[in-house]
Amino acid sequence: MILDTDGMKPIYVQIAEWLESEILHGNFKADEKVYSQYKLSDLYNINPATAAKGLTKLAEEGILYDKRGIGKFVSPHAKQMIMDKRKNQTLKTLIEDLVREAGYLELSEEDVIRLVREAWKGEKG
Amino acid sequence: MKAIKCEALTKTYYRKKALNDLTFSVEENKIVGLVGRNGAGKTTLMKILSGFSKAKTGVVEVYGRRPFNNLFVSANTIYIDDQMNFPTTLMLNEILEEGRRFYHNWDHDLALRLFEYFGFHRKQHHNELSKGKESTFNMIVGLASRSPLTIFDEPTTGMDAAVRKDFYRALLKDYLAHPRTILLSTHHLEEMEDVLEEVVLLHEGSLHLHMSMDDLKEYSVGLSGKISEMEPFLQGRDVLYKQNRAVDDCYAVIRNDLTGGEYRQMQQAGIITSPVSASDLCVYMTSETSGKGSVDDVFERSADR
Repeated sequence: MILDTDGMKPIYVQIAEWLESEILHGNFKADEKVYSQYKLSDLYNINPATAAKGLTKLAEEGILYDKRGIGKFVSPHAKQMIMDKRKNQTLKTLIEDLVREAGYLELSEEDVIRLVREAWKGEKG
Repeated sequence: MKAIKCEALTKTYYRKKALNDLTFSVEENKIVGLVGRNGAGKTTLMKILSGFSKAKTGVVEVYGRRPFNNLFVSANTIYIDDQMNFPTTLMLNEILEEGRRFYHNWDHDLALRLFEYFGFHRKQHHNELSKGKESTFNMIVGLASRSPLTIFDEPTTGMDAAVRKDFYRALLKDYLAHPRTILLSTHHLEEMEDVLEEVVLLHEGSLHLHMSMDDLKEYSVGLSGKISEMEPFLQGRDVLYKQNRAVDDCYAVIRNDLTGGEYRQMQQAGIITSPVSASDLCVYMTSETSGKGSVDDVFERSADR
């Protein structure tokens, strides 16, 4: 991953999302230790406090759990939690954006659904 | 423990206040960026912290001790700027040897490896180096000293972009291996913002802002759109910066405390929101009080004549 340092999304959120993707792809498995703040800091050339903030975010959401003095580990249900979260949040915002943009372009609901079907076919069919 | 503590610090040069009632403190083992316009008081502050000069009034403590004329602070602090007074009779490798003799945490192995990496020769003299090379050598001394309080005043002066990048990386790597308090002033905030944990912004000798870099980056938001559409949103808000760019196009920076509903309203009004870099924000926040307008106004007036 390359950090987007000029974007609206804070670096620590990008770090948290990268760790989530690594968990989804199975590069960190349940009850495995994830990278420490220092390792992340070195990897992405960021201050360790920023990296720690990313780890803390995931710990607060229950995706990681803390073993005092050892580090942060992947929760047993982390994968499911991330998928639920992405479905509920990421997809929802994307769809809201889509609907708003469609509104600007004066498309009807049917037009949008037709476009989604076409894109779906292109991807899967 | 606090590495740095300043309370109501004031310093005057020829009746002009270089520092004015400055109060702030820095916890141990953080990398802190000191920023501000030219003449904001950065160098004055750093020299007082390293014990080179004395404040007129107020309290300053480094690791709980007053730095002026204090051997403990001298031994635990290094101040690096672009006017290092290294003896001209010594060759570069001899300067490094002297550093090893004075600084108890000195890492000579690191010094020599960096020395080699940046292509120095042992028998060169400091006053024969180019501006960029001089800064690079000073930076090596600063890193190798491993001083509990390491102060860099404009360390990248004259360095090319590649060396600056190497410096930021070296600074971070050595800090990770050996955490210590690092205070550095820079006019290249955008280049090293990810490496900094906190930012201290000085303006005309006073503290303008002190917060974590993560918070600073989320502190404000840029809006651009038609003036008529923007006005209602700017009413009653803390507008940090405003510029009319075209006849009916305006850019404004405000505190980032918009609610989701307000965001949607803005989008519907055709206002585009964009992030504001920490570097730009610092410039915006320290330009408004000068009362002289922008450099454009200088040319406007001459055109009127």
